[in-house]
Amino acid sequence: MKSKIEFWDDFFKGSRLACARLITKVENAPALVPEIRDRIIPCLRGAVRIGITGPPGVGKSTVTASLAGLAVKAGRKIGIIAVDPSSPFTGGAFLGDRVRMQNLIGNPNVFIRSQASREGHGGLSPTTPYVADILDAFGFERILIETVGVGQAELDVLGCADLVVLVLQPGTGDVIQALKAGIIEVADLILVNKADMPGLESLLDALKFLFDMNARPKAKPIPPILTASALNDQGIDELQAELEKLIEGQASSGFLKQKKLARLEGEIKAAIQNEIWEKFRAAAGPEADIAEAAKRLDDDGRSPYDYIRDLGRRVSLKFTTENPHGEHRP
Amino acid sequence: MADPIIKVIIAKPGLDGHDRGAKVVARALVEAGMEVVYLGLRQTPEAIVHAAVEEDVDVIGLSILSGAHMTHFRKVKELMDKEGLGDRLLTGGGIIPTKDQAKLAEAGIGRLFGPGDDLQTIIDYIRDWHRSHPR
Ligand SMILES: Nc1nc2c(ncn2[C@@H]2O[C@H](COP(=O)(O)OP(=O)(O)OP(=O)(O)O)[C@@H](O)[C@H]2O)c(=O)[nH]1
Ligand SMILES: [Mg+2]
Repeated sequence: MKSKIEFWDDFFKGSRLACARLITKVENAPALVPEIRDRIIPCLRGAVRIGITGPPGVGKSTVTASLAGLAVKAGRKIGIIAVDPSSPFTGGAFLGDRVRMQNLIGNPNVFIRSQASREGHGGLSPTTPYVADILDAFGFERILIETVGVGQAELDVLGCADLVVLVLQPGTGDVIQALKAGIIEVADLILVNKADMPGLESLLDALKFLFDMNARPKAKPIPPILTASALNDQGIDELQAELEKLIEGQASSGFLKQKKLARLEGEIKAAIQNEIWEKFRAAAGPEADIAEAAKRLDDDGRSPYDYIRDLGRRVSLKFTTENPHGEHRP
Repeated sequence: MADPIIKVIIAKPGLDGHDRGAKVVARALVEAGMEVVYLGLRQTPEAIVHAAVEEDVDVIGLSILSGAHMTHFRKVKELMDKEGLGDRLLTGGGIIPTKDQAKLAEAGIGRLFGPGDDLQTIIDYIRDWHRSHPR
């Protein structure tokens, strides 16, 4: 198999630019994803992925930067993926999280990548899991993934991260109502940031009330609730200690492994769907013009299943595994 | 296939304390469909290029009002070449005399914009550059 990426050697020799360029390929060149996955997955070193999520402006970036700063002081290598929303109208994105990460500038043991959420609707970009794996294979031991600032349950981070930290701030008591049904049920840790601001006690009370009401599935323990003032690097030691404790627990209970397998399972399913779709398109030729089909169905008042059945009679797919990265056209 | 999205980094080197102009340009580029990494104030050339490497941007845009444009642009360009970003566009804005602009152009720096240029001119310039420099 001839490689379509000419800088693998540089990547494995530790070139940061090669790492960055590989991430760009994953973002912009879907056709190269199979090759990249083939090379990266055997090189995974088991980095733990920590999702940092929460409403807009609560201090996710500041917490991320402070936490990363602490970890690199302890000799760890930290990868950061900071996701900001893409405009659904223009496709553009303002990626501003780095402004809060000035303490990490130029640090060779940190790699920060901003990502636009693009087609992702769950607070991440669809390619974020691949980016995390690239940073893992490159040698980062903890990957911090800052999601888009979200008010509602945005759950992509659950699939992608081993651990989820939900960041809140005083004055977001009402937000809790909105979050209740979603991510609060699955957060592994809740961090009340901006503890220097008024309203801390009432937020803590609200959280306590919520958990007393049994907002979580029985199987999940109530998450630790910590407070911090990330802007002043306060409470971050405790956050780190608690995270490491959780990670240890998850590693020994086999949960980390389970998460990894679930991610792999998801990718296999997506890859099969993708493969079948491509094969189908090649085999069906012009019949696979879905926009055209939609028009015809609409005109005739027929259902999509009618179309599929009809097509199934005329198009047959052969599923082969040869030629893994090439375009397969019969 | 659609053109890949253009990724730009916007930074303000030096010590002067206003980033209104830089933010306005950043917002305009976002509205034109670009992905803009905003670095903010008081960035050293080293920090800017370090971030540009990690972000693998197509374009670095500097906003310089302090009068120190000659040193900043040259330094950033020098670091870009050293870090393997020689094929990316370095552009920017400020109050930059024509004769300085000519000198910087000779050093491989792209077009520089002043207060009189409208945002669309900047957008068009970046788009044209990107189209003629596929990578
Ligand atoms: N008072 C106080 N302000 C803080 C603290 N942490 C962060 N901030 C401020 O809160 C604002 C938002 O912080 P960010 O870290 O950008 O918040 P974010 O959640 O990443 O924001 P988005 O990514 O836009 O959703 C900034 O002005 C920070 O300086 C804190 O502990 N106390
Ligand atoms: Mg942020």
